[in-house]
Order: sequence, then C-alpha cells, then structure tokens
Amino acid sequence: MSDLVLARDVPPPQRRSLLRDLREIAVDELWKYRELLYELTLRDVRIRYKQAVMGFAWAILMPTLIVAAGTLVRFAMAYMSGGHVARDVIAGMAVKALPWAFFVGAIGFATSSLTGNLPLVSKIYFPREVLPLSATFAQSFDSTIGAITVGVALPFLGVHYGLTALWVPLLAVLIFCVTAGAALFLGCANLFFRDVKYIVQVLLTFGIFFTPVFFEPRMFGPLGARLMMLNPLAPLLEGLRLSVVEGHNLLEPLVLVGNKGAVVAWSPWYLAYGATWAVVGLIVSMLVFHRTEGKFAEYV
Amino acid sequence: MSDLTDAPRIEFDHVWKKFARGELHDSLRDLVPATVRRLAGRMPPRDELSGEEFWAVSDVSFEVGPGEALGILGPNGAGKSTILKLLTRILVPTRGQCSITGRAGALIEVAAGFHPDLTGRENVFLQGAILGMKRREIRSRFDEIVSFAEIEAFIDTPVKRYSNGMNARLGFAIAAHISPDVLVIDEVLSVGDLRFQQKAFDRIQEMCTSGIPVVLVSHQLERIASLCTHALLLERGRVAKRGTPTECIEAYLESSRNGDPGAGHTSGLTFDALSLESPLPVRSGERAHFRLSGAVAHGGDEASRDFTLRVRALSTGRLIFSASAQDCGASMPAGGPFEVDVELQFNVAPGVYGLELAVWDAETRRDVVSGPGVTVQVETGALTFSGTSHLLPRARVLPVTKAAGASR
Repeated sequence: MSDLVLARDVPPPQRRSLLRDLREIAVDELWKYRELLYELTLRDVRIRYKQAVMGFAWAILMPTLIVAAGTLVRFAMAYMSGGHVARDVIAGMAVKALPWAFFVGAIGFATSSLTGNLPLVSKIYFPREVLPLSATFAQSFDSTIGAITVGVALPFLGVHYGLTALWVPLLAVLIFCVTAGAALFLGCANLFFRDVKYIVQVLLTFGIFFTPVFFEPRMFGPLGARLMMLNPLAPLLEGLRLSVVEGHNLLEPLVLVGNKGAVVAWSPWYLAYGATWAVVGLIVSMLVFHRTEGKFAEYV
Repeated sequence: MSDLTDAPRIEFDHVWKKFARGELHDSLRDLVPATVRRLAGRMPPRDELSGEEFWAVSDVSFEVGPGEALGILGPNGAGKSTILKLLTRILVPTRGQCSITGRAGALIEVAAGFHPDLTGRENVFLQGAILGMKRREIRSRFDEIVSFAEIEAFIDTPVKRYSNGMNARLGFAIAAHISPDVLVIDEVLSVGDLRFQQKAFDRIQEMCTSGIPVVLVSHQLERIASLCTHALLLERGRVAKRGTPTECIEAYLESSRNGDPGAGHTSGLTFDALSLESPLPVRSGERAHFRLSGAVAHGGDEASRDFTLRVRALSTGRLIFSASAQDCGASMPAGGPFEVDVELQFNVAPGVYGLELAVWDAETRRDVVSGPGVTVQVETGALTFSGTSHLLPRARVLPVTKAAGASR
C-alpha cells in the first residue's frame, strides 16, 4: 500500500512522550512528506534565481562581502600593531564566512517562512516543519555553490588540503543542525509573536561580532577565548578553520603560548560542546514546533 | 467489504472547538502578563471558556461511511468552515475526536499553494505535493490535469500572468485529480465560467458517486440536494437538524425565514393558521386549495393589510413563485378576523414545495411578519415535461405559403 502516503489515521489519545513525538515528526511527517520538502526547496531556489540579475553570483555575494569586511578589520588591526595581513588569515575568514552567511540567510528566510505562506498554513494541512526546513535547504543550495567556489579559491591563498579536511562533512552537518533547530524555533516563535522577526534581524546584524568570523577566539586571551566559544556556532566555525586552513586534527587540543601566557585555542571538548548544541537544540526545537503546530492556523 | 473497520470513513465524535473573540496576544510584550496570570491560577483550564471565548463548534457528531455523502448547511457563522478545517486537520478540536480513515482529498481553496513567479507546470508539481501526491503520481496525471484545466498553451507561463479564471481552473484540476479515499468539499463549485462550472460539477458528481465517503459544505442548496445522501443543519455551532437533504433544507429555510423579522415594525396583520385542504399528494398540473386564517387590526390603510404568498422548491430552496394577496384577487377586510381560500395550480415538476406567508415591507425590503408555512408533495401527473415549471405551451404547424418561400 504505497498509496497510503496521506493516511490520516488519528491515533487514539495517548499521553505524549518525547519518543512518540519524535517518531511522529520523523516518520509520519517528514518521511511521508519528503517529496513536499523537496518541492518547496525547489520552489525557494527557483524563485531566488528567477528574474534575478545576479544569477549564481548571488550565492557568493554575501560570503565575499563578509571576507572583504573582515580583511578591512584585520588590516586595521595589523596596521596598529605594525604587522601585515597574512594570506592564511584571509583563507580562514573565507572558510568561516561561508557558514555564517548560510546561518544568516537561512534564519532570515525561515523566520518568516510560516507567516509568509499564510494562505497555505491557514488552508491546507501538511506538516508545517517543511516550511522552515525547506528555507534552510534552499539556503544550503546557495552555500554549496559558495563552498565549491571557496574550495577552488583556497589553494591560491596558500592552503594545502590535508587529511584533516575530512572533518568538514561532520562540521557541515552540525552547522546545518544548529541552523535547522534555530530555523524551526524562530519560525514558530514568529508565528505567535510578530516582533520576533525584528529581534532576529537585530541579532543577525550584530551576531557577527559575537561569533569568531573576523577574528580567532584566542585573540581575546584565555578567559575571553572560553567565553567566545560559548556561542554554539563558535566551535563549529573555528573547527572548520583549524581543520582546513591550519591542518589541525580536531581530536587533539591546541595550546598557543604567546607573550601574555598560554591560550587554549582548541580542545576536543569544544567539538563535543558544539555537537551537543546541534543535536539537543534540533530535538528541542522540533518538539516545541510539533507541540504548538495545532495552534498555528488559529494564530497565524 | 472485507473488513468494515478498514473501510474509509469520516468520524466526528462529540467535537468541540473554541475560539477567542478579539486579538490574541501577538507580540512578546503581551505574553508576559498572560503567562503570569495563568501561573497565578487565575485562568480557567484550557478546555473551558474564559471571558472572550466562545464555542464555534459544540458537541457535533457525525459519521460518513462508504457510499454516503453528507451535506452540511447553515447560515454564516454556524461553524461550517470550522468543521471543514477540523476535518482537514488544519485545526485541532478542543474536545472530542475527529478522524478520517484513509487518504483524504480536499476540494478547498484550491489555488492556495500557487507561487506567482513559478510556471503552471512548476506549480502543478508544487501544489500536488502540498496536497500529498507523489511526484510520479503527478507526472502520470499531468496531461490529464492540464487538459482538464484547458491551459495547455500556457502551462509554461508564470502563474502571475494567468487570469483569475485560469488560476482557479488549474487549482481545481489539480485537486480534482487526487484519487482520495474520502473527500471533503468546500464551496469551490463555482469555479471559472459557466461551461467550466458544469464540467467541475460533473467531476465532483463523479467523485461523489464513486462510493467514497464525502462531506460537502455549501450555501448552494441545490448542490446539497442533488449530491448528498443525508444532511446536517448547523446553527451557532450546534446540530439543529439531521436527516435527508430535503428535510434539512426545509428546516434551514424555515429558520432563516423566522430568523429576524424586522424588529420594531408593527403590522396591521397577523396570521393564525395555514392548511392544505386538498388531499396529498398533489399531481403535477393539478390545483390545490389552501385555507388560511388571521386577523387585521382596525384603522390601517389598504397596503398595511396586504400580505405575500410564496412558493419555494424545498429541494433547492429556490423561490419559484411570489405574489401579493391583492394580485391574487383577495381584498382584505378593513378590520377583524379573516379567512382566505387560496387556489394554486402546480404547473411544476414533481418534488417537494413549500407555501409560505409573509408581510413584506417594500421600504425596508424585509419581511415584517413571517407567517406559517405548509409543505406540498407534488407527484407526476397529467403534465409531462422536464425542467422546473410548465409554461402551458401550445404549438401548431404553420402551412408554408408560396409568398414566404419566394421572399427568400
């Protein structure tokens, strides 16, 4: 009975449990509606490139601007301390600019994905998770183009790919999870409270100063580095830079000794911390989303 | 029917749904005081009513099995749309259970998922996926959908350049090509031009009579009368009547007639009783006599003493005859009780008809007094014709003259 895709058997009321809810989300909603997720992602990608003057250049515009801004900042810092901006600094920023652009883009689209599809949400049933998730997937399409571009450009900035670059897929998945979790939570929050959109805008604008994109956490000293790493994206972005640009194995700690003392630039625990955020954040967001879903049509 | 529990069906079991009047809190600023109140225990439990809340649907139950088609009718605000949304899982009941066994198809707001920048083709796949169809399923029906919508030439044009009619036709065609186990239909029956409406209606009829359970919500009483096997009349969220479509339409017309007689208006005329004097059933083309009684207050002018006779086809609710007592030749007494004999010739097709009395105010264009009504069953008789009314035709063959032939 492959045709029972739409089977809407409402089970008898049972007490809700985390596992039952998660199974419902994964099996009854996302798996059965995977083609809808695909179609909506396709829609978002198509409308982004239709009647667009930039075409695929759009995909690398945002990361390029971030790197340009970062280079400017680092140049000023280097000038004041009498040094110069090394090529691997720019390479490191390029590696981190891409996921940051992905996060900003996905969250921006996902936050208004439910309110922006009002006629759908109030007229037709389908698991609403697919709306913020398709916004996230559509952004990953852009970021994939960006990643290929950066991948080609890095050797020109003096980067030699080593075995440690194999960390990239895992880190990419974790970054996707953090983003998807935030996308679900914020999309749902914005449906109930319309001012969430503005809060998110402000946070995304200033978020780059609280996330290590232009700089490395170790530049803030031993305590500052730890505080900066509290940002769930920080260990994931730093992990990318260390594994790709510096060829560091993320299972080994990295302690740098400077003239102001030793700073822990990396510890495997950072990776564990980032991964925990990604997984737990995604699960919690899904549960929150799932449990408020029934009220969407009334509040939208 | 191997197993009845597996047969597709629609069940609505003591469903309650509450809504709140006014605004829900829409910004975080409002949430905080509301949460504090809830925590302080000042809010009632979630399934009871508080201040601004009301039951949009209260204690509604019904079941629709294979081969059945349920029509839901009622005035605006009776809860029809809410029931549809509960059925299609857009809303969740506050209390009670609502379930659909099998794959549900819904003919509601059919073009809701269209994106203006995408082409017709892209939108067919998108909308199909939203309605729960598989890609391969859509691909196999794609040509059928496009030719049903009659937009073959424009299928690769962005939908924003479509006319409203094309948009609606394509939306309907997609929704009408899911093969559902159960079907929920909103008033989408009036899509496109007259010809397409007929085509859409035929398609709906085809789906309705294919033996799957159907729920149909409509203001078009004729549709309910012709498509449904039974019906349900809703009033302010409650079931006011359930029975055959004709019974419910009758009750609906009755209640909307008594709904709101012009407040504050006084009339010089009151009705006591109305009865059919002739034996039932009346045969098509025969005359029937009615007796009505009432009283006229002294001192009114002639217009204040007049009243209106109306006949409706109860299967559809359509008014087929209306005339004032004066037009019928009755001049009412200047005061005191009266009794009137009314004779009507039923030159109509077999069916159920209702005679109603009312005092109509030409200024406000409303009924000032709604009088009693009586139901008349009309059966096949001497007149043979199809259609709704017999126009007493006379036709004779004319001789062809030479002059007429030459003038050509």
